[in-house]
Amino acid sequence: MSDRRADTAALGRSSTMRRLALMAMCLWALAVTLPFIWTVLTSLRSTREIFRSPFGWPDALWPGGAETGLLENYRKAWLEANFPTYFANSITVVAVSLVLILAVSVPAAYAFARLRLAGKRFLLLYILTGLMVPAQLILVPLFFQYAEWSQALTAALHGPLRWLGYAEPVVSLHNSLAGLILIYVALSLPFSIFVMTGFFRTLPTALYEAAILDGCSEWQAFRRVMLPIARTGVITVTIFNFIGLWNEYLFALVFINDESLKTLPLGLASITIQANYKTDFGLLFAGLVIVMIPTLVVYVALQERITRGITVGALKA
Amino acid sequence: MRAMNAQPTRGADAGARLRAATGTSAAPTPTAGAGSRPARGADRGAPGRRPGGSPLARQQRRFAILCVAPALILFTFWVAVPSVRAFYYALTSWDGLTPPRYVGLENFAAMAHQGDVFGVALKNNAILMFVPAAFTLALSLGFAAAIHRGVRGARLFRVVFFFPNILSAVAVSVLWLLLYSASDFGVINALLKWMHLRSSAFEFTNSRFLVWSLIPMLVWSSVGFFMLLFLASMQNIPETLYDAARLDGASSVACFRHVTLPLIWETIVIALVFFAIGGLKIFDQIWVFEQQTARAESNTMATLMYSKVFYEYRVGFGTAIAVVLFVMILLATLLVMKLRPKEALEY
Repeated sequence: MSDRRADTAALGRSSTMRRLALMAMCLWALAVTLPFIWTVLTSLRSTREIFRSPFGWPDALWPGGAETGLLENYRKAWLEANFPTYFANSITVVAVSLVLILAVSVPAAYAFARLRLAGKRFLLLYILTGLMVPAQLILVPLFFQYAEWSQALTAALHGPLRWLGYAEPVVSLHNSLAGLILIYVALSLPFSIFVMTGFFRTLPTALYEAAILDGCSEWQAFRRVMLPIARTGVITVTIFNFIGLWNEYLFALVFINDESLKTLPLGLASITIQANYKTDFGLLFAGLVIVMIPTLVVYVALQERITRGITVGALKA
Repeated sequence: MRAMNAQPTRGADAGARLRAATGTSAAPTPTAGAGSRPARGADRGAPGRRPGGSPLARQQRRFAILCVAPALILFTFWVAVPSVRAFYYALTSWDGLTPPRYVGLENFAAMAHQGDVFGVALKNNAILMFVPAAFTLALSLGFAAAIHRGVRGARLFRVVFFFPNILSAVAVSVLWLLLYSASDFGVINALLKWMHLRSSAFEFTNSRFLVWSLIPMLVWSSVGFFMLLFLASMQNIPETLYDAARLDGASSVACFRHVTLPLIWETIVIALVFFAIGGLKIFDQIWVFEQQTARAESNTMATLMYSKVFYEYRVGFGTAIAVVLFVMILLATLLVMKLRPKEALEY
């Protein structure tokens, strides 16, 4: 008897709890979504409308109600504010970085997990210490190191470049997408190698041995047999690095100066500063939406994989 | 040196066949079966086989070196060397142009003495480590528990809550900069006015309040991530434990307190490490809110380092701050990891 009473009491309490939890979660969902809806709506209003009141339907959505077109802010952001350039740079940097990260980290992880190599445990440990190094620690030394390397490269390539017809050849890793990409690749290695090594260790050896038996070379065994089964690990590493690099700000800020080389986060940050002294907030709202849309599209398309990739990746690191 | 197939073999005699086929095994293969294991172990240690002696082993070693070399080179010159250099720079006085001058621990002493600048940055880091962590932890644990117990629309909540987490810190900061605006379009100020909480606009983004204004934003963007982290951990708990607890008359709160919480403790500790590292490293958000200038009231260690090096050309002092930041991250991680359970709970 008493057992049953306790049970119903617990149930009763739990259903109130459940209702409370549901309410809290609905409120939170509103708190997350409303700012985005507000941003999109406001981006469709002219700067003058924006200063009239924070809320309000875009005038351009009323028939004959607006002095400017609905997408005026977007037209300006796209044609006058260099957003196409920022996009192209971000896509280039992230795509090349991801390809290089995979090309470097996957074979290395495979060797650390599977192949015989003297001192490989020490070497792996050496690379994994990189997991503890914050970007801030290497930022400044890397900046001056790049200056030294650029000087050395310029000196070394002076002759050949002159010969190729460059008048006053200067090779610089500063203010260059290639220089930034190399930093991104190197910084992503410890995490990527860590995840991939763990992954290769879980794969059965029998397949590898069968491949060798069938006369595959080491490269073929890796490429044809091990790599295809390691796909899940590769996807995790790709997603984790993609999100991190697409959003990276600090290194881009230090190493890129030219307007024509800025990535999206850099571009958005400089638009923000311009909006403040030109008081062109319509442009800023549109720019913000432009920056968020690709992330949203990728998220909706790959939602399961992204959430899994990020949480699994984070737990491992 | 062990034979080339150092990996444990699954198939009963795959290793033996492999060695036989490739000619790496000098000894004749013993008969397959349970009894062959010790024999094979002995065979591995057999004398007369030199490392790299067989062409296959040599091929594997060459392949392995090719595999790890690019990673080692990149890591060494882009991560390891700069890290070591950072410790050297921290001991110098350097403007970045003329040769650096060795000053010993002077930079660190300066940090302690000019308590005002560095101290404020440190205090701001501490605030950003602890305060958002408390709110985020409470909300994400609550939400995760609700989803775990089966709340309606769980899938939608997961999708929506997580989204801000994958946006760039810059985009999130610009969004909140607009929400917080003290101009006529600032939504939050409009709401405060509408609720009669304030008659004039509050300057959320003023340097003096900035650190506190960042807290709702940080919680807003990270709750979804931690919720999923905890949820994944909760879903590993076998349902039978809850059944048993309920049979014993435990309420849902008691279930959470005595079953869920102890079993996800390790994940909570990991989350605390994230909060500590995040609070110490924070840079992007402040840099966007402050429009790329460093202000004494809103500095963190990272923004202070940036402005010292790139605006004031005090490279040695700036790098010394980075070294302190690095050491603090190490210490915080080690300290928090001490909270881990001594032995893994069995369930």
